[in-house]
Amino acid sequence: MTVLEVENIYKSFGRIDVLKDVSFSLEEGQVLSIIGSSGSGKTTLLRCLNFLEHPDKGVIRVNGETLFDADDASTQKESHIRSKRLHFGLVFQSFNLFPQYTALQNVMLAKELLAKERPDYKAKKKEIYEEIKAQAEELLRQMGLENRMNNYPHQLSGGQCQRVAIARALALEPDILCFDEPTSALDPELTGEVLRVIKELADKKTTMIIVTHEMSFAKEVSNQVIFMDDGRILEQGDPIEVFEHPKEERTRHFIGSIKSN
Amino acid sequence: MDLILEQFPIVVRALNVGFMQTLKLFFATLIGAVPLGLIITFGSMSRFKPLSYFTKIIVWIVRGTPLMIQLLIFYYFPGLVLGTPIWGSGEAGRFLAAAVAFIFNYACYFSEIYRGGIQSVPVGQEEAGLVLGMTKSQIFFKVKLLQMIKRIIPPMSNEIITLVKDTSLARIIALQEIIWAGQAFLKGSQGIAGAIWPLFFTGVYYLIFSGILTVLLGRLERKLDYFR
Amino acid sequence: MKKFIALLLSVLMVLSLVACGTKDTSGDADKTPKTDMEYVKDKGTLIVGITDFAPMDYKDDKGEWIGFDADMAKAFAESLGVEVEFVEIDWDNKVMELDGKTIDCVWNGMTLTDEVKAAMETSNAYCKNAQVVVVNKAVADKYQTVESLKDLTFAVEAGSAGEKEVTKLKLENTPVKAQSDALMEVKSKTSDAAVIDLLMAGAMIGEGTGYADLTYTVSLNSEEYGVGFRKDSDLAAALNKFFKDSYADGSMMKCAKQYGVQESIIEQ
Repeated sequence: MTVLEVENIYKSFGRIDVLKDVSFSLEEGQVLSIIGSSGSGKTTLLRCLNFLEHPDKGVIRVNGETLFDADDASTQKESHIRSKRLHFGLVFQSFNLFPQYTALQNVMLAKELLAKERPDYKAKKKEIYEEIKAQAEELLRQMGLENRMNNYPHQLSGGQCQRVAIARALALEPDILCFDEPTSALDPELTGEVLRVIKELADKKTTMIIVTHEMSFAKEVSNQVIFMDDGRILEQGDPIEVFEHPKEERTRHFIGSIKSN
Repeated sequence: MDLILEQFPIVVRALNVGFMQTLKLFFATLIGAVPLGLIITFGSMSRFKPLSYFTKIIVWIVRGTPLMIQLLIFYYFPGLVLGTPIWGSGEAGRFLAAAVAFIFNYACYFSEIYRGGIQSVPVGQEEAGLVLGMTKSQIFFKVKLLQMIKRIIPPMSNEIITLVKDTSLARIIALQEIIWAGQAFLKGSQGIAGAIWPLFFTGVYYLIFSGILTVLLGRLERKLDYFR
Repeated sequence: MKKFIALLLSVLMVLSLVACGTKDTSGDADKTPKTDMEYVKDKGTLIVGITDFAPMDYKDDKGEWIGFDADMAKAFAESLGVEVEFVEIDWDNKVMELDGKTIDCVWNGMTLTDEVKAAMETSNAYCKNAQVVVVNKAVADKYQTVESLKDLTFAVEAGSAGEKEVTKLKLENTPVKAQSDALMEVKSKTSDAAVIDLLMAGAMIGEGTGYADLTYTVSLNSEEYGVGFRKDSDLAAALNKFFKDSYADGSMMKCAKQYGVQESIIEQ
């Protein structure tokens, strides 16, 4: 079943066209990796999916529902964007954990705030809290952080922070989990633990979009790869195909330059 | 020395009365200016340009002119120009006018500190909140506010200590705070005339009070040391 | 929504400014101007601007304002049928206090100078005073004439009659905030001499005061005290009449004796 359909997305900042006619789709339980040099529009694409940016043109559909259509103003109401965002989770390059909360509180906060909007919240306050807490603890355990739940972000390593951030995004059970260069801000010896966690999520059939520079990881974990260049999708398809037999000269050049690094 | 010992109880009683006015003005200013400052901050950071420019001009005027002049204008302007004094008579009216002028002045200073505090919270914090489906106000109160408070405590402490001493400016509109009370013994009051020491002795009150505040604010600062 | 609030706020701010402006003009235009007497009677209180200045205005043990001026002011208010309210003011701001209507009169041993007469509606003089030179007792013998003063540096209250006198004599002087500050200058030897009111000098310096080592020598001028009202106020004439009546029936002198200023009272 197709979870995500992106059609003809355009986005420009002032005179700079950052995304030009980007279209792709994603099946449930699949992993899509987006590669490309910096400035090719990968991050902007993720930000559009999470409604941190508004595309100038194009359509975004999730599970058949049109979340965004540049030609239909009714899909762009500020008040609806919040609930639409919940279809997506986003893990940032720089974690963006909330420093004043513990790992556990970071994972629980958004869900607690959402629970307050439930009509039965007042009556079942305690049960709801316990439920959210149990779920958050389970997520952190999955991330291998059972001993770090009550630590504050500044007491954690970069890799641990990123794993908390992943748990935080998962807590809201998004349809699609997005990663924006999740290991770029980490020391090389810490990237492995984060990639391992993402791999485990892939094995559990979590639908994911990963913007990354880790070519071998992308090749190993993804079902589909997109190579972006100058705001366009230059090549997309099966990872083996894109990495081993790139059709385009620029793709070949890019993959070659990464490998030689 | 004997003379001073004789005068001491009378002077201390008068200084205590004056210091109560000082404290009242101090706390009234703090209670009014802390929230008003936040409103001014939102005004100056508004994306609606006319409001933002208007607020910035007000802040510029208030920060660019001496508080003493503002006190004179606030207190005398209504009667001088509009023909009716609005502050009410006696000490209470003077206190009200002084409090309003102080609140307005300090709110403008606070607003600039708040603005610095808000802008120093990384954009990523807001974006993280947004993608987690939080509303703007949830992000402000649950995520950014505490980080902002942590960052503004040192500059706010400075302003608050300055405020303790600035309250003495209110004597320009004849608010009888502690300096006024001390000076009264120079001219002669309650049978004591030409006594200089009460005026200098007011410094002890300021020292003790600002000392207490320094300790309390330092404690608050340490309380927020648990995160970075 | 946010934009709407922003717009609302700015409209409110502009409106409040406009409101301030219009209130101003309408106030002038459609009301027939009240006389000052009517204004005071309407609100029912006469607000008297004073400073703590024995023996004219000062507090008794119970914190009540008494003194020759205070008692006369009480009697005057009674004759008008209004309450009296004493308010301590900053002497520098007395004209602003009057014009801003935060007080109704200045009744505090005020010397009738040309400046005072120009800025206020003043009553007839009711009390005599002089400006005297204050120096250290140790050197007092050397400064008994006006000619002997020329090498001294003076501290004088800014805007006071004393300042006018030393300026007229071309003596080197520093204006300070109050007469008491001028005395402190002499005591701390930052100035050689001060010029203050005779009535005040009598109360504040010499044995038993904080200025035991100071004394006063030359009188630079003689001057008179009066009461100040807002410019063109009809209260000044009313007070003149009140002074005349109370001088005639002896109540003014009785009050003066109580505070030891009977020698200085001017016949009304």
